[in-house]
Amino acid sequence: MSSVPALAVLACLAAAALLADRTVTVAAITVLLLVVCLRAPQRRRWPYLIGTLASAAFLFLLSPLLASYGGVVLWDGPSVPVLGRLDVTDDELRIALFQALRLAAVGLAFAAYALLLDHDRLLQAAGKLRHSVLAVALATRLVPSLERDAAGLIEALRGRSVVVEGLRGRARLLSPLLAGSLERSLNLAESMEARGFGRPGRTRVPQPPWSRVERAVVLAALLLVLGAVLWL
Amino acid sequence: MAVARVEQLTYRYPSVDRPALDSVSLELQAGEVVCLLGPSGGGKSTLLRALAGLVPHFHGGVFSGRVEVGLLDTRRARPAELAGTVASVFQDPEDQVVLTRVGTEVAFGLENLGTPPSQIEGRAAAALDSVGAGHLLERRTQELSAGELQRVCIASALALDPQLLLLDEPTSQLDPDGAEEILDAACSGRTVVLSEQRPTLVLERCDRVLFLDGGRLLLDAPRGEALDWLAQHRPAYMPELRVVPNEDDVGSGEPLVRLQDVSYAYGARRAAGPASLALRRGEVVALVGPNGSGKTTLAKIAAGLLEPAGGEAHLRGRAAYLSQDPGRYLVCERVDEEVALGVGGDLARARRALDLVELTGYDARHPRDLSSGERERLGLAAVLVTEPDVLILDEPTRGVDPDRKALLAGLLRENADRRATLVVTHDPVFAADVADRSVSLGPAREPAHA
Repeated sequence: MSSVPALAVLACLAAAALLADRTVTVAAITVLLLVVCLRAPQRRRWPYLIGTLASAAFLFLLSPLLASYGGVVLWDGPSVPVLGRLDVTDDELRIALFQALRLAAVGLAFAAYALLLDHDRLLQAAGKLRHSVLAVALATRLVPSLERDAAGLIEALRGRSVVVEGLRGRARLLSPLLAGSLERSLNLAESMEARGFGRPGRTRVPQPPWSRVERAVVLAALLLVLGAVLWL
Repeated sequence: MAVARVEQLTYRYPSVDRPALDSVSLELQAGEVVCLLGPSGGGKSTLLRALAGLVPHFHGGVFSGRVEVGLLDTRRARPAELAGTVASVFQDPEDQVVLTRVGTEVAFGLENLGTPPSQIEGRAAAALDSVGAGHLLERRTQELSAGELQRVCIASALALDPQLLLLDEPTSQLDPDGAEEILDAACSGRTVVLSEQRPTLVLERCDRVLFLDGGRLLLDAPRGEALDWLAQHRPAYMPELRVVPNEDDVGSGEPLVRLQDVSYAYGARRAAGPASLALRRGEVVALVGPNGSGKTTLAKIAAGLLEPAGGEAHLRGRAAYLSQDPGRYLVCERVDEEVALGVGGDLARARRALDLVELTGYDARHPRDLSSGERERLGLAAVLVTEPDVLILDEPTRGVDPDRKALLAGLLRENADRRATLVVTHDPVFAADVADRSVSLGPAREPAHA
């Protein structure tokens, strides 16, 4: 499937996950998106998967402690300043699971966009949204760029007999990584301006029309969104 | 007919007291190939940016005088308006790539300039072919080696078919054959200004030479006259090309590195080998070979940074490795602390190492405030300070001017007997200056991270 219909399908799946009321529906969408993400190369996919799944797990664990939805109390904890009384009920657990699955579905849809879609094709098809689409595409590349820079930095330091160990050692790399990223973004902006970016009268490479299968898949995704609003 | 005219241009970057360009005047004629020479920090890149309109529009600062390109005054026309009339390729190809596929990257500028859609793909493919990169059309830009990226950036500029082509060290990542191919493609039928720190090939092709030092134009002369001036005033820019003997292990010093039929692969792609290499204390060896032949990978194996997938690797003693473009890999807030990092924070040793690379008095400066050439020397100090048994330098002359290269070669030769030194380089002049012998790797394998 080409990039534009694939993006439409991912957006529909994320929207359906946000609009659906049943946990099982959201869980099914989450599993589907996870399977899609697993098609990406292992080396590239891990930061996205760990980031998304860890955030969802964090929400699932924290939300019942802080929320007050009633239900049968499963655990009654101490009273903590500012947060108040900590407890966990069956309703809070159910709602926490539902919200965590929603978060995971949206995160995985973004991961699939970042890992599997051809951003260049999206940009070429963007029309008047070209500037916004390019900004999103460049922001999406930040994670893999930082990952590459971090690996290069650690290797360069090893070459100078400096071993980077533990969380503290890695935390020291954040500032130089950020500085390097800012330098790179300035150079890139200069290069883009020198190549006429932002000039009126832009054209684009002709795009191939959508195939029947692609149209059918996008239609099915739109129906899923409708179904999520009405029945699921 | 003049394609560009610079009149009494004086320019100072924001927050800097000294002007980067000082009363520079020149005219560029149609079809002229101009070689722009000068030491690091002499104003070459700034002049190229002024011709592209990026100075002052992008960088700010104080600008006086006048620059006119294709009848447009650069004070009024923004760089995006000048694009197409002018095309630029900057020093670091890694920082210029906008898109993720080679074909769309080359098409990016054509789309911005409003090229008829039916012509875009054909012109992009033709530009890639002209620099010997037609086979890269469908590749992902993140997977390319630095040399391949440099070709793609030059193709992106050539695709625009500009009246004026500005190239800032366009061959810094290329092997000599690749550099010749690129220069032949670039210098055909248009006005070109090339800034180079490996000037031999450019001096063979240019019509005229400019020499900038301290922001002032010291020389503006036709080629013949310029060669005489260089021979008299800047002989380092006119080196005699000597050949380093390509020999296997011949020394008698203590063996420190022995690689026997080692190989390595990044994922499914074979990046190096099988190759063999031996290094002995007291010798300086140049590792040469075409782009993608696996030099960097072999150097990393020799330094103990990579475990070979096959073959045997033995390293005796402590190795230090200076990566390509070390200016990217700076972690401290002060120059002396950056160097001291490798010796447990010993600032006295760090300052001695800074003296060696002529960065005396830079101790308290922020490493990222240094110029690219100064960062290169800072990186060198950061590995020299560890006093390694095996010193491995990967393309240490990138962005370094010929005078500094001679100093670097002298520095490496001076203490060569204390260690084994391996220099990975595309620069045949530097290799001849520094090395006792060279080891040559074979032609390019499947695209690699070299």
